[in-house]
Amino acid sequence: MSDLHKLHNTKPGRVFDVINLIFLGLAAIITLLPFVYVVAGSFATESELARRAFFIIPETFTLEAYRYIFTSEAFIRSIIVTVGVTAVGTLVQLFFTFTMAYPLAKRKLHGRKLLINMVVFAMLFSGGMIPTFLVVQGLGLIDSYWALVLPGAINPFNLIIIKNFFQNFSVELEESAKIDGASEIGIFWRIVLPLSKPIIATFALFYAVGIWNDFMSPLLYLNDSSKWTLQLLLRQVTISSDPNALGSLDPDYIPPAEGMKLAIIVIATLPIMAVYPFLQKHFAKGLLIGSVKG
Amino acid sequence: MKALMIGKPKDKANKKSFTEILKVMWIRDKWLYVLLIPGVLYFLTFRYAPMYGVIIAFKNYVPFLGIQDSQWVGLEHFTSFFGSPDFLRLLGNTLWISFLSIAIAFPAPIFLAVLLNEVRFSIYKKLVQTCIYIPHFLSWTIVVGLTHLLFSINGGVIVEMVEALFGTRINFLADPEWFRPMIILQGVWKGTGWGTIIFLAALANVSPEQYEAAIVDGAGRFRRIWHITLPAIRGTVVIMLILTMGSVLNTGFDQIFLMTNSLNRTVADVFDTYVYNVGITRGSYSYSTAVGLFKSVVGIILILTTDFIAKRVDKESGLF
Amino acid sequence: MRSLKKRGVWLVAILFSLFFIVGCGNDDDDTASNDGGGSDGEEKEFFEEIKIMAPTFETTAPPADNDWELAVEELTGKKINMNWVPNVSYEDRMNVTLASTDIPHIMVIQGKTPGFLNSAEAGAFWELSDYLDDYEHLSQYNEDILRNSSVNGEVYGIYRHRDIMRSTAIIRKDWLDNLGLDVPETIDDLYDVLQAFTYNDPNETGADDTFGLIIPTWYGTLDTLSIWFGAPNGWGIENGKLVPAFTTDAYAEALEWTKDLVDQGLVNPDFTTLSPDDWNSVMFNGKGGVIIDTYSRAMQINNLFVDETGSTDPDEYFVEITGTLLSPDGEEYGQPTDGYSGFLAISKTSVQTEEELHEILAFLDTLCSTDGINILSHGIEGVSYELDEDGYLVPIESEEAAALKSYEMGQISMYGEGMHQMRGDSALAQKRYRLMEENEEKAVFNEAAPLVSEVYTTRGTQLDDIIEDARIQYIAGQIDQDGWNDAIDLWYNSGGQELIDELNELYQNMN
Repeated sequence: MSDLHKLHNTKPGRVFDVINLIFLGLAAIITLLPFVYVVAGSFATESELARRAFFIIPETFTLEAYRYIFTSEAFIRSIIVTVGVTAVGTLVQLFFTFTMAYPLAKRKLHGRKLLINMVVFAMLFSGGMIPTFLVVQGLGLIDSYWALVLPGAINPFNLIIIKNFFQNFSVELEESAKIDGASEIGIFWRIVLPLSKPIIATFALFYAVGIWNDFMSPLLYLNDSSKWTLQLLLRQVTISSDPNALGSLDPDYIPPAEGMKLAIIVIATLPIMAVYPFLQKHFAKGLLIGSVKG
Repeated sequence: MKALMIGKPKDKANKKSFTEILKVMWIRDKWLYVLLIPGVLYFLTFRYAPMYGVIIAFKNYVPFLGIQDSQWVGLEHFTSFFGSPDFLRLLGNTLWISFLSIAIAFPAPIFLAVLLNEVRFSIYKKLVQTCIYIPHFLSWTIVVGLTHLLFSINGGVIVEMVEALFGTRINFLADPEWFRPMIILQGVWKGTGWGTIIFLAALANVSPEQYEAAIVDGAGRFRRIWHITLPAIRGTVVIMLILTMGSVLNTGFDQIFLMTNSLNRTVADVFDTYVYNVGITRGSYSYSTAVGLFKSVVGIILILTTDFIAKRVDKESGLF
Repeated sequence: MRSLKKRGVWLVAILFSLFFIVGCGNDDDDTASNDGGGSDGEEKEFFEEIKIMAPTFETTAPPADNDWELAVEELTGKKINMNWVPNVSYEDRMNVTLASTDIPHIMVIQGKTPGFLNSAEAGAFWELSDYLDDYEHLSQYNEDILRNSSVNGEVYGIYRHRDIMRSTAIIRKDWLDNLGLDVPETIDDLYDVLQAFTYNDPNETGADDTFGLIIPTWYGTLDTLSIWFGAPNGWGIENGKLVPAFTTDAYAEALEWTKDLVDQGLVNPDFTTLSPDDWNSVMFNGKGGVIIDTYSRAMQINNLFVDETGSTDPDEYFVEITGTLLSPDGEEYGQPTDGYSGFLAISKTSVQTEEELHEILAFLDTLCSTDGINILSHGIEGVSYELDEDGYLVPIESEEAAALKSYEMGQISMYGEGMHQMRGDSALAQKRYRLMEENEEKAVFNEAAPLVSEVYTTRGTQLDDIIEDARIQYIAGQIDQDGWNDAIDLWYNSGGQELIDELNELYQNMN
């Protein structure tokens, strides 16, 4: 490794490195700053939020918004519900997607083209909100958490990308396993999946974020308000920002305090953002996946 | 069994009898089909069963009446859409934004992923990665709010900077000329970091030995990027491009709606905002379904065309 | 055999899916009460509990069987089952509910949206004009408001009453004091104030860093101004015919006046792009001094100052409110609301017979009684509020009262006599209630409020955008008088003329 290091340290290489590091650092700052403002704002007073356009450290520090949120039983419950549904839902959706993607990656499979066509078609055409609702209702899933997970169990977009990843998978490994007498399911489970960690991590993230951010499904499928998820709360507080709603708002309606809005944004986004750093280590562990076509 | 194995690499299905194919399906690939069952059931139940709903594009759908009893109007929604005096302008605006975004916002994450791949301090790399993907989680309302803060003609920092540097005061938010650049800029800021994830996952497949070997061979930085990094993500890039083409007519609604005002509406109106405006007054699921159907047909044509071209260039790439 | 099995799987899957489609399509008619005819007279109860769908504006929905709901149940003797739906997508949820097999007995309808109108036309809700007068309290409606809330005269719901007057100019009090100016009473006074706020250094910094009027991209300000000038409220009557406001002379005068403000720099330079979200802070920051909007906004801004200064004196306030400003012709023309905010509609699917309807209406009648309206609007006496010696309502500030307030039973409050009046806990609030009362007499109502037009339903947004965009472009100096006239011609040719004709026909039919 030290030898390699030396080789890296050619002069043009160093210049490139420095520029690259600075560029990426700048990119990190301009993407991070707004969120820092959101966090800072959630600790600021209403008058400071109205007076200062942008700040990173509030002049007067207040926990008012968070105190309100965390004393509300319903709010705590919705955090627990959202975390639970996201965790279980991600596993379920990964299961559905990966089990389908793997056979579709086998070029030898009969009927494969038909199925892929079916997937692509479903990616573009959909029955729309109400017919889907009727199917969910017909299955008896209204007011069930499954209604938040199953209707989106496979994202066709993800399915096709995963299938493509699998298509690049080293054939030799599988062949040798087959000679050892392993079935296709055995190979999939014991060889392919363990070697696909970066892909699993990536799509776990995509699905988790998808479930976490989904607000239409809970809105439509959950009557019981004790089952509401965080996104519903988030949408409720950001509604006052909808310019279209302003004209028609009930005159008695008092928009939620700005600090409250920001605090809810923080609470509704921070947990899911924190998932990524934990998944990052898996991005370096797919090294065995082998034969990349060049 | 043996005969099947020999024929495996390039099955020519049509050369075999039907029973032979069934035999292959049952004996050789039984477990693969078993794996397919949950997925196929999913598609049939949640994707295909509701699809009868598209017929509301040809009806005046009233939810209370149900699809069956709503009035049949044939192609009325389509003719009113295509016949609208605004149709060409909407199409033009939509395509402009889509193609600018494919030309600029699509390659941006690839570029950034390659640069990230070159960083060797892994903590710094992870830190940057974590920061740049944050904007994905901020809603368009917040992004547009920040844009107003920075670009307002009434004291926006960037307006002041531009004036100091170039001596002109540009109303970025109201000038129709600046509408598209602003939309693309916001899109790049919000989506690039998130977009790198998929390419970084693809790059995780490259073994460090390949780089080491290249270094030993005396390959410079750019040659290594050109010969190792880029080929490693080529398949992913192509498939992403093909899939992106499917949504060329979808520019998204929130961002454009929030950035539209009375002075830039002529360039800002796109299909998505138009359907919203018409839909909200008509309460018409039917009308938006009709427009959606049109967008889907265009999408599928573009996907298949791009796929066809991709296969011409490189046999191994593409959807299938 | 094997192939059959394979195909069998597909077949089963397809049948499976078909089953859902058919299963869902057919269930529509067999809900509701199962005791069909039931003519046993008054004492028979059809509904054990009444299901009500209502929007919630809170971040967390009210829990079932909370104290407020129980108080309402006790008053009415009926079990209530509230189905709370987040306000954000109430319309979508309403449509899905109407498409489903499970429709609540009573639905809060937020406005005459096309989704509602289509369903009402298809017979989803009871038409109530013939029934309301049979009830002691429901018959106490305000004619004008009931007319406004109707659909071309058909009453599909019982309206939720709201304050009629809400428009005012909101002015920074410290700036008025600094410059020694009086609170304006006429539009001409306002002009002088705007001039002074822009050029006479109202914030005493010695720099030219202020302007008068703050206009964001929500252009209610311009509508209010045109009405104050004497233009119709949306639609008015000229020579016995309905005409759109923007064709009248008073409207043109108001437009000219506003353009003059912009030309002289008395308005925020970013009025074409300023987000309504930032409206309050521009005034609070001391950049601009006047906003024309609602009393609630005045209260919000005042609260920001209270928050900033820590003022605890209820007589001290930081923004002045004016109510209606007099037109240059010396007359007073006030801008009212339609007087209601949505209504409670009764489903024909789940409430099928007239007997059943009477049970629901009797329930709603109780809610419109003096006790009913007070419980729904103000909460529980002793917990949410007390009455002072003059009978005025004094809100109680306690955690219990705050919790109760978030249960939002007010969403189903309609109208009623004997509602406790607020005296207002601060000088500003008292001034607000006084102005609202004074201004109500001279309100200019929208003559077309009850009319629902086919043309407007299909082309309304585009028609509105034509005028909306042109007037901003005109004020901003991007188009001239000819351009404005062209826009009006475009409006007529894009369906505007048909709209006028249709509305006039509906108007004749209704009267």
